[in-house]
Amino acid sequence: MWREKLRIRKSNQIQALHPSTKFLIVCLFSACSLILGSIKMNGYALLIIPWFLIVPLLCAASGIFMKFCKAFAKVLLVATMIFLTQSFLVRSDVVAWSGGVLKIYEKGLQTGIFISFTILNIAGIFTWMFQTTRNKEISRALEDSGMHHKAAYVFMSTLQMIQVMGQNSKTIMNAQRARGVETEGGIFVRAKAFFPSLVPLILGSIIGAEERALTLESKGFDVNGKKTHMFELEPSGYEKLAASIAVAATAAVLIGRILVWVL
Amino acid sequence: MGAIIELNNVTYSYPLANECAIKNVSLKLEEGRFYGVIGQNGSGKTTLCSLIRGFAPSFFRGSLTGEVLVCGKPTLDYKPGELSLKIGYVFQNPFSQISGVKDTVFEEVAFGLENFGVPVDEIEERVIRAVELTGISALAEKNPYELSGGQQQRMALASIIVLEPDIMVIDEPTSQLDPEGTESVFEIIKGMKDRKKTIILVEHKVDLIAEHADEVIVLDKGEVIRFGSKDAILSDETLLECGVQLPNIALLGNKLTRSGVPLERIPITEQQGVEIIGKALRTRSWCK
Repeated sequence: MWREKLRIRKSNQIQALHPSTKFLIVCLFSACSLILGSIKMNGYALLIIPWFLIVPLLCAASGIFMKFCKAFAKVLLVATMIFLTQSFLVRSDVVAWSGGVLKIYEKGLQTGIFISFTILNIAGIFTWMFQTTRNKEISRALEDSGMHHKAAYVFMSTLQMIQVMGQNSKTIMNAQRARGVETEGGIFVRAKAFFPSLVPLILGSIIGAEERALTLESKGFDVNGKKTHMFELEPSGYEKLAASIAVAATAAVLIGRILVWVL
Repeated sequence: MGAIIELNNVTYSYPLANECAIKNVSLKLEEGRFYGVIGQNGSGKTTLCSLIRGFAPSFFRGSLTGEVLVCGKPTLDYKPGELSLKIGYVFQNPFSQISGVKDTVFEEVAFGLENFGVPVDEIEERVIRAVELTGISALAEKNPYELSGGQQQRMALASIIVLEPDIMVIDEPTSQLDPEGTESVFEIIKGMKDRKKTIILVEHKVDLIAEHADEVIVLDKGEVIRFGSKDAILSDETLLECGVQLPNIALLGNKLTRSGVPLERIPITEQQGVEIIGKALRTRSWCK
């Protein structure tokens, strides 16, 4: 009965793909981004711009478009910052655009497009994978692929720990606020309150880690031998098709790149 | 009954420590008994538990002389994880006992059995039994991090009970809990006592030790200064000098005796207090 409850049911077939297939797609997509980024048109890596459209389309097809937009907002902000910094700060002889005192040089624009869209492509496809895959699916897939259970545990607990440390940080900040420390306001006021909170946060985590290690030992984590799993991964049945499409697309990109190089 | 745990002239010090945490301790703990371990902070209670469980010196390193035997075999001779099936260990902090990789209480409790490769059908049965026994059936589908401290401690107990060890070492399980949480944890411990498990409980709340333990071990500066019947030990006011608390009813009994009220013996539990002090009040032979 419980095995049934622990099963993860996904109605969307793309979402339901096995994590290893999704990882293959992520790797191939990232490789294609780098290959396309190496094709320059008048010095601009323009092909990686339309290539990025695949990510939101894939997310929409997976039924997670809104979730993706929410999760991707911060990456978009970082990519925009990098684009602007590169565009305005990297100088060359040719001015691509000027408006008053502001000037964008060609070299800066080329670097900005290449770096920011490479980040958007790679971060975007990883976001798709993590938004369509639960942590325990990834951990289970890693163990199935032959990864040692301790390494899989470290991977999984690191993912969980980010959330837990975020909550602990909030608790520490609330405690500081209760003692009269100013935690709201400008960036300097926030920084002044934030940095001292790192010490109890990190020390608390280190102390907790020792007890957690002993807890794991108490639960037989160190026992060598076959382990059982209450949670089993179920393939959607479309894994071969998805992998074939990804491989074919990569092959096409690779052939295209060779042709551009040769011709 | 035979000794299930035996410590022979055990002295242990942590790495880089100048003083020994445990000095010359010899104990024989019998199967199916409930031992309460008391002593002030830093007296070596947790170290004693770590030695029994084999965490010291395997995990903490440090130097050990003498030997600790569990079921007649030195703890150092056990293979990794082998002791987990013999001795269950519950820690003070309920939060750090969560594995951190499971989404539900049910999976968290099942984690130990998965590690031992127990068949899935059997895991289901045993986990259901453990969560029922610890009163957390209704929380089985919740995320472990969403539970209160008391609920997390009950889950920690369930995670160990599910392994069905013969010995339970429980280190201050209620130190971070409210009275309600404390009561629920002690209900579970009482249940284990009824099932004839050997229990070693470190606890500062001596009233609870007086209520539930069969025998008491008193530690001071790493040495066992008293070991034996709880009635004799928990009524002895000289322990106050070592920073050991006595049950409130025992303190009252001692004061009454000093005031000239002849008590049959010093009570250590509320129930005993009602009977012994009540009897003295009824006879009033001492009243002029």
